[in-house]
Amino acid sequence: MTEFWQSVARGLGNGSIYALLALGFVIIYKSTRVVSFAQPAFMLAGAVLVTYLAAEVNFFLALVLSALAVALLALGVERVTVRPMVGKPVFVVAIITLGLDIVIRVIVNGFIGLDVRQVGDPWGLQTVNLLGVPVQQRYLAMLLTTALMVAALFAFFRYTRFGLAMRAAAFDQETALAQGVPVGAVFATSWAMAGGLAAVAGVLVGSGASVDQNLWIIALKALPAIILGGLDSLGGAVAGGLAVGLVESLVGTYQADLAPWLGQNFAVVSPYVLMLLVLLMKPYGLFGTPEVERV
Amino acid sequence: MKSRIGAVLTAGVLTVSVSGCGVFRGDEDSSAPGVTKDACPNAVNKNNGCIYLGAISDLTVGPFKTLAVPITEAQKAFWKRVNQQGGIGGYDIDVTKYVRDNKYNPETHNQVYQEIKGKVLALAQTLGSPTTAAIIKDLKSSKIVAAPASWTSAWNFEDVILESGASYCIESMNAIDYAVETFKPKSVMAVHYAGDYGADAAAGAKAGAAAQKLTFNAIETPQGQDNQGRAVDAIVKGKPDLVILTTGPTDAATVIGQAAARGYKGRYIGTSPSWNKGLLKSPAAPAIKAQYLQSAPWAPFQTQTPGHQAMRQALGQVDPNDGYTSGWVWSYPLKAALQKAAANKELTRDGLLKAVKQITQVDYEGMMPTGSGNFAGDAGTGAVRTSLIAKPDDKEQTGVKVIKEAFTGPTAKAYTLDAPCFGKL
Repeated sequence: MTEFWQSVARGLGNGSIYALLALGFVIIYKSTRVVSFAQPAFMLAGAVLVTYLAAEVNFFLALVLSALAVALLALGVERVTVRPMVGKPVFVVAIITLGLDIVIRVIVNGFIGLDVRQVGDPWGLQTVNLLGVPVQQRYLAMLLTTALMVAALFAFFRYTRFGLAMRAAAFDQETALAQGVPVGAVFATSWAMAGGLAAVAGVLVGSGASVDQNLWIIALKALPAIILGGLDSLGGAVAGGLAVGLVESLVGTYQADLAPWLGQNFAVVSPYVLMLLVLLMKPYGLFGTPEVERV
Repeated sequence: MKSRIGAVLTAGVLTVSVSGCGVFRGDEDSSAPGVTKDACPNAVNKNNGCIYLGAISDLTVGPFKTLAVPITEAQKAFWKRVNQQGGIGGYDIDVTKYVRDNKYNPETHNQVYQEIKGKVLALAQTLGSPTTAAIIKDLKSSKIVAAPASWTSAWNFEDVILESGASYCIESMNAIDYAVETFKPKSVMAVHYAGDYGADAAAGAKAGAAAQKLTFNAIETPQGQDNQGRAVDAIVKGKPDLVILTTGPTDAATVIGQAAARGYKGRYIGTSPSWNKGLLKSPAAPAIKAQYLQSAPWAPFQTQTPGHQAMRQALGQVDPNDGYTSGWVWSYPLKAALQKAAANKELTRDGLLKAVKQITQVDYEGMMPTGSGNFAGDAGTGAVRTSLIAKPDDKEQTGVKVIKEAFTGPTAKAYTLDAPCFGKL
């Protein structure tokens, strides 16, 4: 049973990271209707920045500074490269974000150097006993950080004036604009928030491990998470991320014994299988908004 | 009017045909692609002609960039040194003009290869096993000799590939023989990536385990720190005495660190690409120092052989990294082949391939054991079967210290190399 709970802890820990990344995708999608493929680069940038900052300041301060810096970077990127494309087909903008991802990663890779780098987190690989089950502290840190950030995000959207403006712009941009909502600022803020979330996710991935230039690949796990949760649902992004993490971890632990005929690494494709199963029953994802088109 | 149009057309046809022959450009001899009578760009010897070599490496966003960049830099320094020593057969060697990035993508690798193949005599570097596999047929049909930047046993069977050092397969056989000699394991698990990096090493480990009568199982693991959970579970559950690890450095640290956090105390021997000195600062460092050894085809950067010293001198002040060592070592066989072809007065692709088959030994300036670099025989006789073992050490420049000098274990010595190992896993 210990193995089961350890697998659950790992799944929820990794799932928390997928959830943070998925939230970034969804926030940008809701405000601009574009799936931004630049998220992996922002994730890598955040982690690499902390490897430098942590040598100078406390890890937690480095984490906050890194999130703010990457948020600013994302905001700048949106203003310079994406804003001029407003009104153009979303497919074109999505392709631009793919290019941005590569450009930013090439630049960030230059700062990684020849050796793997460390984020300097305080918990490393230490474990803590939870009801008799040894659980790595890093997974608890991932889960707790994500819970705090999700709570803050939901409070922002629910209780602040600008959060309301963002919800209005997400619902109908033209009407929101007519009501005085600064839609351009909404776009910029959504990119900044997504950048900050990705940076935190990158740092959490590097905690207890190392940072190298391949770290960005993890961000792709957020894609099945947002589809199965619902592309326009913040709650769906969190649920999707956690579900992907859990399924992936449990399949990795038990599949080789229970269904060896599925091959050695079925866990890698399990999030996509889960996504397909959900889409068969709910084509807009678990919490996505069904689109009605009048003909 | 008609005669004017005719004159213009005739002039145009003449211009195109003459420039197509290279008379105007003057940058290549039609008989030998990549060999020109004109000096190289920034030539050391202005009166020498130029031999252009291509390099296709992982220079920007691919997973092996941290190795590929120093490999490429070391090769530039290696050939610059050759030029400073007078060049080869009246030619300087250029490895700077046709350097291309493959992003570790086989399609991109093939694409950039097609771009440069008509302009180079040979390839000073083709990085990666799957990437090189994408161009191997063309290399053979075009008779383009290439130095690989990978150690798969498949290269022992290709005439156009000038491999150096033991393959992952042989390295893992030696690792198991070393383990049996020193800490006597009863069970072995290979944790490996898919493909002819991981599978080649795992196949070697399988052969080693069978020869030493150890129990064996293999766990294929995908890339990515978040994907190592299954491998960690398998190690913790199976409790093998020895794990042969064939992953990248960060995944290796994830596996070692997390398995240790869950109580695993067995030993690891990782193939050379599983190491990076930055791991000594990682949270997994205590476990790595206690449980990990590295197997390697040649001695690290800081070793005192004439070749290592020449490399360090040529590179100047750099952050020590065994990517440099590898790039330097891999260049020796191509230098030997070019010298042989020049001596045969056949500096052409045909002539270079013929020269390769005449090489029975390469002078690695002490970086490889004497007798290494036999390209005249078959795969079995030509394959290098020595490797060494190193342990993590903070005091060393690349973070590892050799504890067992180059040796050939009984398994590797007796092994019949009749096909690439990875097919036998």
